[in-house]
Amino acid sequence: MLVGLYLPRLLPEMTVAIVEAFYPVVGDSLAAGAKILDLSIDLGAGFQQDCPPISHYRLISRENLRLRTINAEPGDALAPGSLIAVFGDDLEPAEIARPLRVAIAGIVSHAGMWSARVRA
Amino acid sequence: MTIALRLGTLGGGTVAIRRSGVNWLCEDGHLCRPREVIGFCNLAIQGGARERLFADESVVQVAFASPFGGRLRQRQGLSGGGFLDVIGAADWRPDEVIGEIETEAVHGDDACDALLLILAGQRMSWAVDVDTGLLPGWNLSARAWWASGTGSPRSLLSLGVCDATGPVRGDRSGFTELFEGAQFPAHVGYVTDHPLAPCAPVLVDGFSRTRAEFEALAADLQRGLAESSEPPTPADWFFAGALLAQLGASPMSQDFPMLTRDGVTRSGPPRAILLSSCAETRSILRHKKLGYRLHIMAHDRRAAGRAVAAWLGSAFETVSRSLDDVAADYRQLAKSVDAETGARLLILNRMSTSGREDIANYTAFDAPLGATLANIAAKEVNLMLHDLGREAKVSIVDVDAMAADIGGAAHLPDGVHQSGELQALVRGEILDVLASALEPNV
Repeated sequence: MLVGLYLPRLLPEMTVAIVEAFYPVVGDSLAAGAKILDLSIDLGAGFQQDCPPISHYRLISRENLRLRTINAEPGDALAPGSLIAVFGDDLEPAEIARPLRVAIAGIVSHAGMWSARVRA
Repeated sequence: MTIALRLGTLGGGTVAIRRSGVNWLCEDGHLCRPREVIGFCNLAIQGGARERLFADESVVQVAFASPFGGRLRQRQGLSGGGFLDVIGAADWRPDEVIGEIETEAVHGDDACDALLLILAGQRMSWAVDVDTGLLPGWNLSARAWWASGTGSPRSLLSLGVCDATGPVRGDRSGFTELFEGAQFPAHVGYVTDHPLAPCAPVLVDGFSRTRAEFEALAADLQRGLAESSEPPTPADWFFAGALLAQLGASPMSQDFPMLTRDGVTRSGPPRAILLSSCAETRSILRHKKLGYRLHIMAHDRRAAGRAVAAWLGSAFETVSRSLDDVAADYRQLAKSVDAETGARLLILNRMSTSGREDIANYTAFDAPLGATLANIAAKEVNLMLHDLGREAKVSIVDVDAMAADIGGAAHLPDGVHQSGELQALVRGEILDVLASALEPNV
Protein backbone atom coordinates (compact mmCIF):
# COMPACT_ATOMS: atom_id res chain seq x y z
CA MET A 1 0.00 0.00 0.00
CA LEU A 2 1.35 3.44 -0.92
CA VAL A 3 0.86 6.35 1.41
CA GLY A 4 1.29 10.00 0.51
CA LEU A 5 2.77 12.83 2.51
CA TYR A 6 0.50 15.80 1.89
CA LEU A 7 1.18 19.30 3.23
CA PRO A 8 -1.16 19.79 6.18
CA ARG A 9 -2.78 23.18 6.74
CA LEU A 10 -0.43 24.08 9.56
CA LEU A 11 -2.02 27.47 10.18
CA PRO A 12 -5.56 28.56 9.28
CA GLU A 13 -4.25 31.68 7.50
CA MET A 14 -1.46 30.04 5.48
CA THR A 15 -1.41 30.07 1.70
CA VAL A 16 1.91 28.32 1.08
CA ALA A 17 4.79 26.79 3.02
CA ILE A 18 8.41 26.90 1.91
CA VAL A 19 10.38 23.66 2.01
CA GLU A 20 13.43 24.48 4.15
CA ALA A 21 15.13 21.09 4.44
CA PHE A 22 14.38 17.54 3.32
CA TYR A 23 16.13 14.87 5.35
CA PRO A 24 15.69 11.36 3.83
CA VAL A 25 16.58 10.41 0.28
CA VAL A 26 14.65 8.11 -2.03
CA GLY A 27 15.06 4.51 -0.93
CA ASP A 28 15.58 5.34 2.76
CA SER A 29 13.59 3.29 5.21
CA LEU A 30 12.12 5.60 7.81
CA ALA A 31 11.39 4.49 11.34
CA ALA A 32 8.53 5.97 13.28
CA GLY A 33 9.86 9.20 14.80
CA ALA A 34 12.19 10.01 11.89
CA LYS A 35 12.27 13.60 10.68
CA ILE A 36 11.12 14.10 7.10
CA LEU A 37 11.27 17.81 6.31
CA ASP A 38 11.30 21.33 7.73
CA LEU A 39 8.96 24.05 6.50
CA SER A 40 8.54 27.77 7.03
CA ILE A 41 5.37 29.79 6.78
CA ASP A 42 5.39 33.55 6.27
CA LEU A 43 1.90 34.85 6.98
CA GLY A 44 2.97 38.25 5.66
CA ALA A 45 4.00 36.91 2.27
CA GLY A 46 2.56 39.12 -0.41
CA PHE A 47 2.31 42.07 1.94
CA GLN A 48 5.40 44.12 2.70
CA GLN A 49 5.53 44.23 6.47
CA ASP A 50 8.48 45.46 8.49
CA CYS A 51 8.38 42.40 10.74
CA PRO A 52 7.51 39.28 8.77
CA PRO A 53 5.44 36.75 10.75
CA ILE A 54 7.48 33.65 9.98
CA SER A 55 7.23 30.36 11.84
CA HIS A 56 8.99 27.05 11.28
CA TYR A 57 7.76 23.48 11.51
CA ARG A 58 9.06 19.94 11.25
CA LEU A 59 7.07 16.98 9.95
CA ILE A 60 7.92 13.63 11.51
CA SER A 61 6.89 10.18 10.34
CA ARG A 62 4.72 8.16 12.70
CA GLU A 63 5.10 5.04 10.61
CA ASN A 64 7.84 2.64 9.48
CA LEU A 65 7.97 3.09 5.69
CA ARG A 66 10.33 3.35 2.74
CA LEU A 67 10.54 6.65 0.83
CA ARG A 68 9.65 5.98 -2.79
CA THR A 69 9.43 9.39 -4.48
CA ILE A 70 9.99 13.03 -3.51
CA ASN A 71 7.96 15.71 -5.25
CA ALA A 72 9.51 18.80 -3.66
CA GLU A 73 12.91 20.26 -2.90
CA PRO A 74 14.21 23.02 -0.63
CA GLY A 75 12.98 26.42 -1.77
CA ASP A 76 9.70 25.12 -3.20
CA ALA A 77 6.51 26.91 -2.17
CA LEU A 78 3.75 24.38 -1.54
CA ALA A 79 0.04 24.92 -1.06
CA PRO A 80 -1.82 22.98 1.63
CA GLY A 81 -2.77 19.58 0.26
CA SER A 82 0.24 19.36 -2.07
CA LEU A 83 1.70 15.89 -2.42
CA ILE A 84 5.23 16.13 -1.02
CA ALA A 85 6.38 12.53 -1.11
CA VAL A 86 5.18 8.96 -1.56
CA PHE A 87 6.08 6.08 0.75
CA GLY A 88 5.87 2.36 0.07
CA ASP A 89 7.57 -0.41 -1.90
CA ASP A 90 8.16 -0.30 -5.65
CA LEU A 91 6.20 -3.47 -6.15
CA GLU A 92 3.07 -1.97 -4.72
CA PRO A 93 0.38 -0.44 -6.97
CA ALA A 94 0.95 3.16 -7.98
CA GLU A 95 -2.24 4.41 -6.41
CA ILE A 96 -1.94 6.19 -3.08
CA ALA A 97 -4.20 4.54 -0.58
CA ARG A 98 -4.08 7.04 2.26
CA PRO A 99 -2.12 9.95 3.77
CA LEU A 100 1.02 9.29 5.78
CA ARG A 101 0.54 9.68 9.52
CA VAL A 102 2.80 12.48 10.68
CA ALA A 103 3.57 14.45 13.81
CA ILE A 104 4.04 18.23 13.60
CA ALA A 105 6.34 20.33 15.74
CA GLY A 106 7.16 24.04 15.82
CA ILE A 107 10.94 24.39 15.61
CA VAL A 108 13.61 27.04 15.93
CA SER A 109 15.17 28.22 12.65
CA HIS A 110 18.61 26.78 11.98
CA ALA A 111 21.58 27.20 9.69
CA GLY A 112 20.69 24.17 7.60
CA MET A 113 17.52 25.78 6.30
CA TRP A 114 17.21 26.79 2.66
CA SER A 115 16.32 30.39 3.58
CA ALA A 116 19.38 30.68 5.83
CA ARG A 117 21.64 29.58 2.97
CA VAL A 118 20.19 31.85 0.29
CA ARG A 119 20.24 34.90 2.57
CA ALA A 120 23.76 34.33 3.90
CA MET B 1 -29.77 64.21 27.56
CA THR B 2 -27.57 65.91 24.95
CA ILE B 3 -24.21 67.26 26.04
CA ALA B 4 -22.10 69.53 23.84
CA LEU B 5 -18.41 68.64 23.64
CA ARG B 6 -16.13 71.69 23.78
CA LEU B 7 -12.44 71.79 22.96
CA GLY B 8 -11.73 73.54 26.26
CA THR B 9 -8.48 75.23 27.18
CA LEU B 10 -5.12 73.79 26.23
CA GLY B 11 -1.83 75.09 27.53
CA GLY B 12 -3.44 77.29 30.16
CA GLY B 13 -3.41 80.27 27.87
CA THR B 14 0.41 80.35 27.89
CA VAL B 15 0.95 78.48 24.64
CA ALA B 16 -0.20 79.81 21.26
CA ILE B 17 -1.83 76.91 19.44
CA ARG B 18 -3.46 76.47 16.07
CA ARG B 19 -5.13 73.32 14.85
CA SER B 20 -5.96 71.62 11.61
CA GLY B 21 -9.49 70.76 10.58
CA VAL B 22 -11.01 67.84 12.45
CA ASN B 23 -10.24 64.36 11.10
CA TRP B 24 -13.14 62.22 12.22
CA LEU B 25 -12.32 58.63 13.11
CA CYS B 26 -15.95 57.49 13.18
CA GLU B 27 -19.20 58.18 11.40
CA ASP B 28 -21.76 60.77 12.44
CA GLY B 29 -24.21 58.91 14.67
CA HIS B 30 -21.56 56.51 15.97
CA LEU B 31 -22.41 55.00 19.36
CA CYS B 32 -19.20 55.74 21.21
CA ARG B 33 -17.83 54.32 24.42
CA PRO B 34 -16.61 56.52 27.26
CA ARG B 35 -13.05 57.66 26.45
CA GLU B 36 -13.18 56.24 22.91
CA VAL B 37 -11.21 58.48 20.57
CA ILE B 38 -13.55 59.86 17.90
CA GLY B 39 -11.39 62.30 15.94
CA PHE B 40 -8.19 64.27 15.93
CA CYS B 41 -6.43 67.43 14.76
CA ASN B 42 -2.81 68.22 14.04
CA LEU B 43 -1.48 70.91 16.33
CA ALA B 44 0.76 73.80 15.33
CA ILE B 45 2.54 75.10 18.42
CA GLN B 46 3.59 78.68 17.86
CA GLY B 47 6.78 80.49 18.81
CA GLY B 48 9.27 79.42 21.47
CA ALA B 49 6.87 76.94 23.04
CA ARG B 50 7.44 74.63 20.11
CA GLU B 51 11.13 74.36 20.94
CA ARG B 52 10.48 74.15 24.67
CA LEU B 53 7.80 71.46 24.51
CA PHE B 54 8.48 69.45 21.39
CA ALA B 55 12.10 70.16 20.45
CA ASP B 56 12.67 66.98 18.46
CA GLU B 57 9.07 66.07 17.80
CA SER B 58 7.72 67.23 14.49
CA VAL B 59 4.37 65.49 14.84
CA VAL B 60 2.02 66.87 17.48
CA GLN B 61 -1.65 65.93 17.45
CA VAL B 62 -4.64 66.05 19.72
CA ALA B 63 -7.27 63.32 19.69
CA PHE B 64 -10.75 63.82 21.14
CA ALA B 65 -12.89 61.55 23.26
CA SER B 66 -16.13 61.94 25.11
CA PRO B 67 -16.12 61.34 28.86
CA PHE B 68 -19.55 59.70 28.40
CA GLY B 69 -20.77 56.90 26.25
CA GLY B 70 -23.52 57.82 23.82
CA ARG B 71 -24.41 58.67 20.25
CA LEU B 72 -22.12 61.20 18.62
CA ARG B 73 -23.56 64.03 16.56
CA GLN B 74 -20.66 65.65 14.76
CA ARG B 75 -20.61 69.43 14.44
CA GLN B 76 -20.59 70.21 10.74
CA GLY B 77 -18.02 72.52 9.18
CA LEU B 78 -15.04 71.54 11.32
CA SER B 79 -13.35 69.64 8.53
CA GLY B 80 -12.14 71.55 5.51
CA GLY B 81 -10.83 68.47 3.76
CA GLY B 82 -7.50 68.16 1.94
CA PHE B 83 -4.58 70.02 3.42
CA LEU B 84 -6.89 72.08 5.64
CA ASP B 85 -7.17 68.95 7.76
CA VAL B 86 -3.38 68.69 7.89
CA ILE B 87 -2.02 72.20 8.43
CA GLY B 88 -2.74 74.51 11.36
CA ALA B 89 -5.55 76.30 9.56
CA ALA B 90 -7.71 77.29 12.54
CA ASP B 91 -7.29 78.93 15.91
CA TRP B 92 -7.68 76.82 19.02
CA ARG B 93 -10.83 78.25 20.61
CA PRO B 94 -11.69 76.74 24.02
CA ASP B 95 -15.41 77.36 23.54
CA GLU B 96 -15.51 75.62 20.14
CA VAL B 97 -18.02 72.77 20.13
CA ILE B 98 -16.95 69.75 18.07
CA GLY B 99 -20.14 67.75 18.53
CA GLU B 100 -22.87 66.58 20.86
CA ILE B 101 -23.28 63.33 22.74
CA GLU B 102 -26.77 61.93 23.21
CA THR B 103 -26.31 60.03 26.42
CA GLU B 104 -28.12 58.44 29.29
CA ALA B 105 -25.36 59.59 31.63
CA VAL B 106 -26.34 62.17 34.22
CA HIS B 107 -24.41 65.39 33.90
CA GLY B 108 -25.14 68.67 35.60
CA ASP B 109 -24.56 70.80 32.55
CA ASP B 110 -25.49 70.72 28.87
CA ALA B 111 -21.85 71.10 27.84
CA CYS B 112 -18.50 69.69 28.91
CA ASP B 113 -14.91 69.66 27.75
CA ALA B 114 -13.87 66.80 25.50
CA LEU B 115 -11.09 64.58 26.76
CA LEU B 116 -7.89 65.47 24.92
CA LEU B 117 -5.25 62.85 24.17
CA ILE B 118 -2.01 64.52 23.12
CA LEU B 119 0.21 62.60 20.70
CA ALA B 120 3.78 63.50 19.78
CA GLY B 121 6.23 61.75 17.49
CA GLN B 122 9.88 62.15 16.61
CA ARG B 123 10.21 61.19 12.98
CA MET B 124 13.08 59.05 11.85
CA SER B 125 13.64 61.53 9.01
CA TRP B 126 12.52 65.03 8.20
CA ALA B 127 10.03 64.06 5.51
CA VAL B 128 6.93 61.93 5.37
CA ASP B 129 4.90 61.41 2.23
CA VAL B 130 1.81 60.21 4.01
CA ASP B 131 0.74 62.81 6.54
CA THR B 132 -2.71 61.49 7.36
CA GLY B 133 -3.77 59.44 10.36
CA LEU B 134 -2.48 59.25 13.89
CA LEU B 135 1.30 59.57 14.29
CA PRO B 136 1.92 58.91 10.60
CA GLY B 137 5.16 57.59 9.16
CA TRP B 138 8.25 56.06 10.71
CA ASN B 139 8.85 57.52 14.15
CA LEU B 140 12.01 56.99 16.14
CA SER B 141 9.82 57.50 19.18
CA ALA B 142 6.23 58.43 19.92
CA ARG B 143 4.28 59.20 23.08
CA ALA B 144 0.83 60.05 24.34
CA TRP B 145 -0.93 61.37 27.44
CA TRP B 146 -4.28 62.75 28.49
CA ALA B 147 -4.14 66.55 28.70
CA SER B 148 -6.43 66.58 31.70
CA GLY B 149 -6.51 64.71 34.98
CA THR B 150 -5.20 65.36 38.40
CA GLY B 151 -2.13 63.86 39.95
CA SER B 152 1.22 62.79 38.59
CA PRO B 153 1.20 60.39 35.66
CA ARG B 154 2.27 56.78 35.71
CA SER B 155 4.85 56.66 32.96
CA LEU B 156 5.43 53.62 30.75
CA LEU B 157 8.01 53.18 28.00
CA SER B 158 7.52 50.43 25.45
CA LEU B 159 10.85 49.06 24.26
CA GLY B 160 9.57 45.84 22.80
CA VAL B 161 9.04 44.29 19.39
CA CYS B 162 5.72 43.55 17.69
CA ASP B 163 4.20 41.68 20.66
CA ALA B 164 4.56 44.85 22.73
CA THR B 165 3.99 47.39 19.99
CA GLY B 166 0.60 45.98 19.01
CA PRO B 167 -1.02 46.25 22.45
CA VAL B 168 0.61 49.61 23.19
CA ARG B 169 0.12 51.43 19.87
CA GLY B 170 -3.18 49.72 19.00
CA ASP B 171 -4.98 49.33 15.69
CA ARG B 172 -4.58 53.00 14.71
CA SER B 173 -1.01 53.24 16.03
CA GLY B 174 -2.16 56.14 18.19
CA PHE B 175 -2.23 54.56 21.69
CA THR B 176 -6.00 55.09 21.64
CA GLU B 177 -7.14 51.72 22.98
CA LEU B 178 -4.56 51.82 25.77
CA PHE B 179 -5.71 55.24 26.94
CA GLU B 180 -9.35 54.30 26.64
CA GLY B 181 -8.61 51.71 29.31
CA ALA B 182 -6.37 53.89 31.48
CA GLN B 183 -8.43 55.08 34.43
CA PHE B 184 -5.51 57.11 35.79
CA PRO B 185 -3.12 59.81 34.53
CA ALA B 186 -0.52 58.18 32.37
CA HIS B 187 2.27 59.00 29.96
CA VAL B 188 3.15 56.24 27.51
CA GLY B 189 6.14 56.25 25.19
CA TYR B 190 7.26 53.93 22.43
CA VAL B 191 10.61 53.50 20.66
CA THR B 192 10.95 51.84 17.28
CA ASP B 193 12.64 48.45 17.00
CA HIS B 194 13.95 49.09 13.48
CA PRO B 195 16.72 48.52 12.66
CA LEU B 196 18.09 48.04 16.19
CA ALA B 197 16.00 45.54 18.14
CA PRO B 198 15.80 46.22 21.88
CA CYS B 199 17.30 43.17 23.57
CA ALA B 200 18.74 43.47 27.07
CA PRO B 201 22.48 43.76 26.27
CA VAL B 202 21.77 46.44 23.66
CA LEU B 203 19.73 48.37 26.23
CA VAL B 204 22.40 47.95 28.91
CA ASP B 205 25.02 49.38 26.55
CA GLY B 206 22.76 52.25 25.54
CA PHE B 207 21.91 53.09 29.13
CA SER B 208 25.53 53.72 30.06
CA ARG B 209 26.80 55.09 26.74
CA THR B 210 28.61 58.42 27.02
CA ARG B 211 28.64 61.13 24.39
CA ALA B 212 32.27 60.33 23.60
CA GLU B 213 31.45 56.64 23.13
CA PHE B 214 28.59 57.53 20.81
CA GLU B 215 30.84 59.80 18.76
CA ALA B 216 33.41 57.00 18.50
CA LEU B 217 30.88 54.48 17.21
CA ALA B 218 29.42 57.05 14.81
CA ALA B 219 32.88 57.78 13.42
CA ASP B 220 33.53 54.05 13.07
CA LEU B 221 30.30 53.57 11.14
CA GLN B 222 31.06 56.49 8.85
CA ARG B 223 34.55 55.13 8.23
CA GLY B 224 33.14 51.65 7.63
CA LEU B 225 30.86 52.90 4.87
CA ALA B 226 33.37 55.34 3.37
CA GLU B 227 36.12 52.72 3.14
CA SER B 228 33.87 49.88 2.07
CA SER B 229 34.74 48.08 -1.15
CA GLU B 230 30.99 48.05 -1.77
CA PRO B 231 29.75 51.52 -2.79
CA PRO B 232 27.08 52.60 -0.25
CA THR B 233 23.59 52.70 -1.71
CA PRO B 234 20.64 54.81 -0.49
CA ALA B 235 19.55 51.74 1.52
CA ASP B 236 22.93 51.74 3.29
CA TRP B 237 22.68 55.42 4.19
CA PHE B 238 19.08 55.10 5.40
CA PHE B 239 20.03 52.13 7.54
CA ALA B 240 23.10 53.88 8.95
CA GLY B 241 21.14 57.05 9.76
CA ALA B 242 18.37 55.13 11.51
CA LEU B 243 20.86 53.03 13.46
CA LEU B 244 22.73 56.14 14.61
CA ALA B 245 19.47 57.81 15.63
CA GLN B 246 18.63 54.80 17.80
CA LEU B 247 22.11 54.45 19.27
CA GLY B 248 22.18 58.16 20.15
CA ALA B 249 18.86 58.15 22.00
CA SER B 250 18.47 57.51 25.73
CA PRO B 251 14.73 56.93 26.20
CA MET B 252 14.93 55.00 29.48
CA SER B 253 15.92 58.06 31.46
CA GLN B 254 14.17 60.74 29.43
CA ASP B 255 11.93 63.23 31.23
CA PHE B 256 9.43 64.68 28.75
CA PRO B 257 7.45 67.92 28.93
CA MET B 258 3.69 67.35 28.76
CA LEU B 259 1.32 69.93 27.34
CA THR B 260 -1.80 69.89 29.50
CA ARG B 261 -5.05 71.80 29.83
CA ASP B 262 -3.53 74.07 32.44
CA GLY B 263 -0.04 74.54 31.04
CA VAL B 264 2.97 72.28 31.05
CA THR B 265 4.08 69.54 33.39
CA ARG B 266 6.69 66.80 33.08
CA SER B 267 6.43 63.06 32.70
CA GLY B 268 9.47 62.14 34.76
CA PRO B 269 11.55 59.15 33.67
CA PRO B 270 9.53 56.02 32.89
CA ARG B 271 8.54 54.02 35.97
CA ALA B 272 7.90 50.92 33.94
CA ILE B 273 9.71 49.64 30.86
CA LEU B 274 7.92 47.11 28.69
CA LEU B 275 10.18 44.54 27.03
CA SER B 276 9.67 41.51 24.76
CA SER B 277 11.38 38.27 25.64
CA CYS B 278 11.01 37.47 21.92
CA ALA B 279 13.75 40.06 21.33
CA GLU B 280 16.26 38.01 23.33
CA THR B 281 17.91 36.13 20.52
CA ARG B 282 20.56 33.48 21.19
CA SER B 283 23.17 35.29 19.08
CA ILE B 284 23.99 38.97 18.83
CA LEU B 285 26.74 41.08 17.30
CA ARG B 286 29.57 42.64 19.30
CA HIS B 287 31.87 45.31 17.91
CA LYS B 288 35.39 43.92 17.84
CA LYS B 289 37.09 47.14 18.98
CA LEU B 290 34.44 49.27 20.67
CA GLY B 291 32.66 46.41 22.44
CA TYR B 292 29.09 47.63 22.03
CA ARG B 293 26.44 45.14 21.04
CA LEU B 294 23.79 45.08 18.36
CA HIS B 295 20.77 42.93 17.68
CA ILE B 296 19.44 43.45 14.19
CA MET B 297 16.70 41.11 13.06
CA ALA B 298 17.22 39.28 9.80
CA HIS B 299 14.59 41.23 7.89
CA ASP B 300 16.10 44.56 8.96
CA ARG B 301 19.57 43.35 8.09
CA ARG B 302 18.37 42.41 4.63
CA ALA B 303 16.92 45.88 4.19
CA ALA B 304 20.38 47.43 4.35
CA GLY B 305 22.70 47.53 1.37
CA ARG B 306 25.93 45.65 0.80
CA ALA B 307 28.14 48.29 2.40
CA VAL B 308 26.37 47.94 5.74
CA ALA B 309 26.43 44.17 5.38
CA ALA B 310 30.19 44.34 4.78
CA TRP B 311 30.67 46.63 7.78
CA LEU B 312 28.62 44.36 10.05
CA GLY B 313 30.56 41.38 8.76
CA SER B 314 34.01 42.85 9.31
CA ALA B 315 33.67 45.15 12.34
CA PHE B 316 31.52 42.80 14.46
CA GLU B 317 31.75 39.27 15.75
CA THR B 318 28.82 36.99 16.48
CA VAL B 319 28.40 36.21 20.17
CA SER B 320 26.33 33.23 21.28
CA ARG B 321 24.18 33.63 24.38
CA SER B 322 23.05 30.82 26.63
CA LEU B 323 19.85 31.13 28.61
CA ASP B 324 22.02 31.99 31.62
CA ASP B 325 23.57 34.81 29.60
CA VAL B 326 20.12 36.14 28.75
CA ALA B 327 19.15 36.02 32.44
CA ALA B 328 22.38 37.80 33.41
CA ASP B 329 21.73 40.54 30.84
CA TYR B 330 18.18 41.02 32.16
CA ARG B 331 19.53 41.11 35.73
CA GLN B 332 22.06 43.76 34.83
CA LEU B 333 19.49 45.83 32.98
CA ALA B 334 17.01 45.65 35.88
CA LYS B 335 19.72 46.67 38.34
CA SER B 336 20.97 49.59 36.23
CA VAL B 337 17.49 50.91 35.53
CA ASP B 338 16.39 50.53 39.16
CA ALA B 339 19.46 52.37 40.40
CA GLU B 340 19.08 55.21 37.92
CA THR B 341 15.31 55.76 37.76
CA GLY B 342 13.62 53.19 40.01
CA ALA B 343 11.75 51.77 37.06
CA ARG B 344 10.34 48.24 36.96
CA LEU B 345 10.78 45.97 33.94
CA LEU B 346 7.59 44.45 32.53
CA ILE B 347 8.54 41.52 30.32
CA LEU B 348 6.19 39.82 27.88
CA ASN B 349 6.80 36.10 28.06
CA ARG B 350 6.47 33.70 25.14
CA MET B 351 3.71 31.48 23.91
CA SER B 352 5.04 28.03 24.74
CA THR B 353 2.91 25.92 22.44
CA SER B 354 1.37 26.37 19.04
CA GLY B 355 -1.38 23.95 19.94
CA ARG B 356 -0.25 21.76 17.04
CA GLU B 357 2.50 19.76 18.71
CA ASP B 358 1.66 16.08 18.91
CA ILE B 359 5.14 14.72 19.46
CA ALA B 360 5.27 11.13 20.68
CA ASN B 361 8.94 10.54 19.92
CA TYR B 362 11.79 13.01 20.35
CA THR B 363 14.40 11.22 18.23
CA ALA B 364 13.68 13.61 15.38
CA PHE B 365 15.10 16.52 17.37
CA ASP B 366 18.72 17.22 18.19
CA ALA B 367 19.66 17.90 21.78
CA PRO B 368 19.44 20.22 23.56
CA LEU B 369 15.74 20.33 22.78
CA GLY B 370 15.59 24.01 23.73
CA ALA B 371 17.75 24.81 20.71
CA THR B 372 15.54 22.84 18.32
CA LEU B 373 11.93 22.84 19.46
CA ALA B 374 10.21 26.22 19.60
CA ASN B 375 7.88 25.24 22.45
CA ILE B 376 10.74 23.95 24.63
CA ALA B 377 12.77 27.10 23.93
CA ALA B 378 9.78 29.22 24.95
CA LYS B 379 9.15 27.22 28.14
CA GLU B 380 12.79 27.60 29.16
CA VAL B 381 12.63 31.37 28.67
CA ASN B 382 9.38 31.57 30.66
CA LEU B 383 10.87 29.61 33.55
CA MET B 384 13.92 31.85 33.52
CA LEU B 385 11.64 34.90 33.75
CA HIS B 386 9.87 33.41 36.78
CA ASP B 387 13.23 32.97 38.51
CA LEU B 388 14.21 36.50 37.54
CA GLY B 389 10.98 37.89 38.95
CA ARG B 390 11.90 36.58 42.41
CA GLU B 391 15.20 38.39 42.57
CA ALA B 392 14.90 41.51 40.43
CA LYS B 393 12.44 44.34 39.93
CA VAL B 394 10.69 42.49 37.14
CA SER B 395 7.04 41.72 36.44
CA ILE B 396 5.91 39.18 33.86
CA VAL B 397 3.11 39.87 31.43
CA ASP B 398 1.86 36.32 30.92
CA VAL B 399 1.12 36.17 27.20
CA ASP B 400 1.52 32.40 27.39
CA ALA B 401 -1.42 32.00 29.74
CA MET B 402 -3.63 34.54 27.98
CA ALA B 403 -3.04 32.97 24.56
CA ALA B 404 -3.64 29.49 25.94
CA ASP B 405 -6.96 30.67 27.39
CA ILE B 406 -8.35 31.89 24.09
CA GLY B 407 -6.42 29.67 21.67
CA GLY B 408 -2.87 30.17 20.48
CA ALA B 409 -3.38 28.86 16.95
CA ALA B 410 -6.16 31.36 16.24
CA HIS B 411 -4.85 34.34 18.18
CA LEU B 412 -1.06 34.04 17.99
CA PRO B 413 -0.38 32.14 14.78
CA ASP B 414 3.36 32.75 14.57
CA GLY B 415 4.00 33.17 18.30
CA VAL B 416 4.60 36.92 18.10
CA HIS B 417 1.87 38.76 16.18
CA GLN B 418 -1.34 38.75 18.19
CA SER B 419 -4.98 39.02 17.22
CA GLY B 420 -6.95 42.08 18.32
CA GLU B 421 -8.60 40.05 21.08
CA LEU B 422 -5.27 38.92 22.47
CA GLN B 423 -3.84 42.43 22.18
CA ALA B 424 -6.76 43.68 24.28
CA LEU B 425 -6.00 41.10 26.98
CA VAL B 426 -2.29 41.98 27.00
CA ARG B 427 -3.17 45.69 27.11
CA GLY B 428 -5.42 45.10 30.11
CA GLU B 429 -2.64 43.25 31.90
CA ILE B 430 -0.19 46.09 31.25
CA LEU B 431 -2.71 48.60 32.58
CA ASP B 432 -3.30 46.46 35.68
CA VAL B 433 0.42 46.47 36.44
CA LEU B 434 0.60 50.21 35.85
CA ALA B 435 -2.35 50.79 38.14
CA SER B 436 -1.41 48.45 40.95
CA ALA B 437 2.32 47.82 41.01
CA LEU B 438 3.66 51.27 40.37
CA GLU B 439 3.68 54.50 42.23
CA PRO B 440 2.84 57.57 40.17
CA ASN B 441 5.76 59.65 39.00
CA VAL B 442 6.50 62.54 41.33
